[in-house]
Amino acid sequence: MSLQAPLWRSIAVFRFASLIYAAVLLAIRPVFYEDWGWAWAVIGVMTAWTVVTTARYANPARRTWLLLAADVVITALALLSTAILQTHTATRIGVMPVTATWLAGPALAWAVVGGVRAGVAAALVIGACDVSLRWPISGAYSSSALDGPIILLLSAALVGYVSMLSVRAERALQRATEIEAASRERERLARTIHDSVLQVLAMVQRRGAEAGGEAAELGRLAGEQEAALRALITGDEQPLAGPGELDLSAHLSREASALVSVITPADPVILTEQAVTETSAAVKAAIDNVRRHCGATARAWVLVDDEGAAVTVTIRDDGPGIPAGRLAEAAAEGRLGVSQSISGRIKDLGGSADISSTPGSGTEVRLRVPRAVLPA
Amino acid sequence: MRVMVVDDHPMWRDSVGRDLSEAGFEVVAATGEGAQAVRIAASVRPDVVVLDLQLPDVSGVDVTRGVLAAYPGAKVLILSASGEHHDVLGAVKAGATGYILKSASRAEFLDAVRRTATGDAVFSPGLAGLVLGEFRRLASDPAPDTPRLTDREAEILRMVGTGMSYKQIAERLVLSHRTVQNHVQNTLNKLQLHNRVDLVRYAIEHGLDTGRQ
Repeated sequence: MSLQAPLWRSIAVFRFASLIYAAVLLAIRPVFYEDWGWAWAVIGVMTAWTVVTTARYANPARRTWLLLAADVVITALALLSTAILQTHTATRIGVMPVTATWLAGPALAWAVVGGVRAGVAAALVIGACDVSLRWPISGAYSSSALDGPIILLLSAALVGYVSMLSVRAERALQRATEIEAASRERERLARTIHDSVLQVLAMVQRRGAEAGGEAAELGRLAGEQEAALRALITGDEQPLAGPGELDLSAHLSREASALVSVITPADPVILTEQAVTETSAAVKAAIDNVRRHCGATARAWVLVDDEGAAVTVTIRDDGPGIPAGRLAEAAAEGRLGVSQSISGRIKDLGGSADISSTPGSGTEVRLRVPRAVLPA
Repeated sequence: MRVMVVDDHPMWRDSVGRDLSEAGFEVVAATGEGAQAVRIAASVRPDVVVLDLQLPDVSGVDVTRGVLAAYPGAKVLILSASGEHHDVLGAVKAGATGYILKSASRAEFLDAVRRTATGDAVFSPGLAGLVLGEFRRLASDPAPDTPRLTDREAEILRMVGTGMSYKQIAERLVLSHRTVQNHVQNTLNKLQLHNRVDLVRYAIEHGLDTGRQ
C-alpha cells in the first residue's frame, strides 16, 4: 500500500468536484457564450476524460508518461476551446474559461508523479494556454488574468513537494522493515545455533572432561568455542546503554573461557565508556596475573556486583595464594608492576582496588568503581 | 529417587537420562515439551525435575510454575546453558531451587540432583550473581515489604559468586557448613516469597481473583 494513494484519491475528488463547478457555471451563465451547445459538448468530453484518468491513475502500473502527456493535451484543448465558444468580451473581463478550475488536474498529477519540477512544468503549459486566451493583457483586468496561473503554479509546486516527502517516507519505512527482517533472521539463526551446535559443543566438553587425556583437551577446546559462539550470537544486544555509556557485564563477558567464569546480574550494568574501558582493562590485567602466577590450569571467577552508588568487580582465583607479607614487601620495594596497572586505572576513575589473599583459597582482587559523574 | 528430564535436545535428554539411571535414579519421564511436562507432572510424581530452560513451546518460567502447581512435591533443578540470565532468574523466582550449567561434569551434575532432592538449594556461582543482582535491583524499591539482604547474606552470596565452596566459606567465616547453606537458602526463599506476594497483588489489582469474567 503506497503512501501516495491518498494523494491520488484527493486528485480524483478534486477533478469531479471541479467538473461539477464548471457545469454549474456554464448552466447559470449562457449569456457569456457564443455557442452554448458546443460548450456542453466540451463538458461532456471533460466528463469522459475525468472518468478515464481517475480509473487509470488509480493503478500505479498504468500511470504512464503517455497518459500524463495526453492529460495535458486534452486539458489544454478543452481550455483553448474557450477562445471559440465564449464571447470575446466575457473572456477579456476575466470570466472563467469553460474548464473553470478543472484545468488544474494534470498539473497536480504531474506533481505527484514527478515531484516539484514536473508539476511546475505542467502548470506552466496549462497556465500559458490560460494566459494566451486573454492576451494581450492590459488595463483593469491584467492582475486577475494572472491570478489563476500563479495559484496553479504554487499548488503544483506544493503538491510536488508533499509527494517527494511521501516517497522519502516510504523508502525510510521500507528500510526499517528490511532491518527488522534482518534482525529477525539473526534471531532465528541464533536459535538454530543454540539448538544444535551449542548443545553438541557443550556435550563434547562434558564427555571429554570425563574421558580424560587427549579427549579432555578436545573437550576444553569445544568449551572455549561454545563460549565464543554463544557470546557472538547474544553479544550484539546492548539496547539500554545511552551515548557515551557501555554495559560493563557485556564487556567483561568477553573474558569468559573454560577457566574464567564471568558472573553478572541479569540486567545490564551501565557505566560511562571510560569507566567500562578502564575497568575491563584492569580485569584483563588481573586475569593475566592469575595465568602468570598460578599456572595454566588455575580457575578464575569475575563477579560483577552493582550496588547502585558503586560497582564492585571481584576477581578470585583458586591458586595457592600469595604468602603473607609478600604484597607489602613488594610494595615497599616499589615493584608492584601489575597491581599498579590495576589500581592505577581504578584510582583514575575515583575508585579503589584491594588485593587480599588467604593461603588455600586463592587471591582476591576487589575493584570498586563509583557511579558518580567523574571529572574528565 | 524419581526424576523427570525436560530437554528438547534428544542427545542431552538421552545422555542425562542414562547418567541418572546408571547412578541409580529412576527416570520416570523424559520429554522435550514443556506443556507435556506440566501435564504429566501430577501423574509421574517426580522428586526432581531436571529442566532445560530453552524449550520450543513454553517458557522455562512457565514450566517451573506449572510443574510446581501440578505437583508441589517436586523440586526443580535447572540444567541449562549460560547466557539466559533473565530466564534463569525468572525460573528461580517461580520456585526452581537449583541451577547448574550444562558444562558441569557428570559428578557435579549427579551431586546437584541429590542435593536438590534433599531440599538443598544448589547455587552455581552464576546463580549467586543473579540472586545478588536481583536484591541490588530491589534495593531501590522503597516498598516496605521488599526483601532485603542482610550483610552476612550479601557477603556469602559474593563468596559463592566468586566460586568458593560452602566448605571454604564456612572456614573463612568461622561458621558451620549448615549455617552457610541456610543463609544461601534464605536468600532464595525471600525472593520466591516476594514473587508470590507480587503475583497475588497483581491478581487482586487486575481483578483476577474474582474468577473469570
